[in-house]
Amino acid sequence: MRRASLAIGIGFGFFLAAGRLTDYDVIHDMLLLREPDLFLFFGAAIATALPLLWLLERSGRPSVFGGALRVTRERVQRKHVAGALVFGTGWAIAGACPGTALAMPMTGNVLGVLVIAGIFTGQWMREAVADRTVRLRALAAQS
Amino acid sequence: MPWFIAGPAIGLLVVLLYALVNRRLGVSGAYRQVRFLVLGQPITETWRVWFFGGLIAGSLLAAILRGGPVFTLGYGNLAAVLPLALLAPTLLTAGVLIGFGSRWAEGCTSGHGLTGVASRSRGSLVSAMTFWLTALAVTLSLHALTGGVL
Repeated sequence: MRRASLAIGIGFGFFLAAGRLTDYDVIHDMLLLREPDLFLFFGAAIATALPLLWLLERSGRPSVFGGALRVTRERVQRKHVAGALVFGTGWAIAGACPGTALAMPMTGNVLGVLVIAGIFTGQWMREAVADRTVRLRALAAQS
Repeated sequence: MPWFIAGPAIGLLVVLLYALVNRRLGVSGAYRQVRFLVLGQPITETWRVWFFGGLIAGSLLAAILRGGPVFTLGYGNLAAVLPLALLAPTLLTAGVLIGFGSRWAEGCTSGHGLTGVASRSRGSLVSAMTFWLTALAVTLSLHALTGGVL
């Protein structure tokens, strides 16, 4: 399981960097609707994964190392919209998402380290806020 | 590498991760586990740490094959617009937004946008549409506000 995860991680990082998704200008030009390449990239990735995943699930075959296949599906919740509003804003400003940010310094883009540091901090902040909300609700329920 | 090679390859990796280890491919969740590792807290999903390490190694491999990495303090057009003293806090803040939002939504471009959409997960589809539209709106607004400089 570890080796498989490592190998897939290597592949993922390789194609992100080889596809130049680690380049601010590439992401920015896509979001300015100047370049269709990245939309095609995403479209091609989904067009490949969607039917194969459907077939894999239909086959009823268990995964090689992780037991019976269980594809994660979520009903629509508030977090999907609220989180994506915040995330999308950061993505637009830095021209990076968690995956491409991680690959950035490896391609020589040193300032990507700041985005990575921000992501770690932001995640920790969100969990602190969520924990606090849970505690306050528990207190409110007691009183 | 053109999109018609890199895109399907990434799509195949999503399927492969399910076929091999039965997990939703996503990067933001991996940051969380690496934070646990660094802070000495118990790791709840070990595979994510390996995936995180692999991602770094794979991108380095791509850079080496291109004859790099070529180290720079630049950041594309953003570095041309902002001096380093402004660029650095901007990138850090944007990173905080990326981290805060991806943790809140419990997924990012890979977990929701790629894997979730390919799995026909409704929550992921809504999340992906929201961050795509947000990113487009923010980018086009910045473009308009800066008079086309950004």
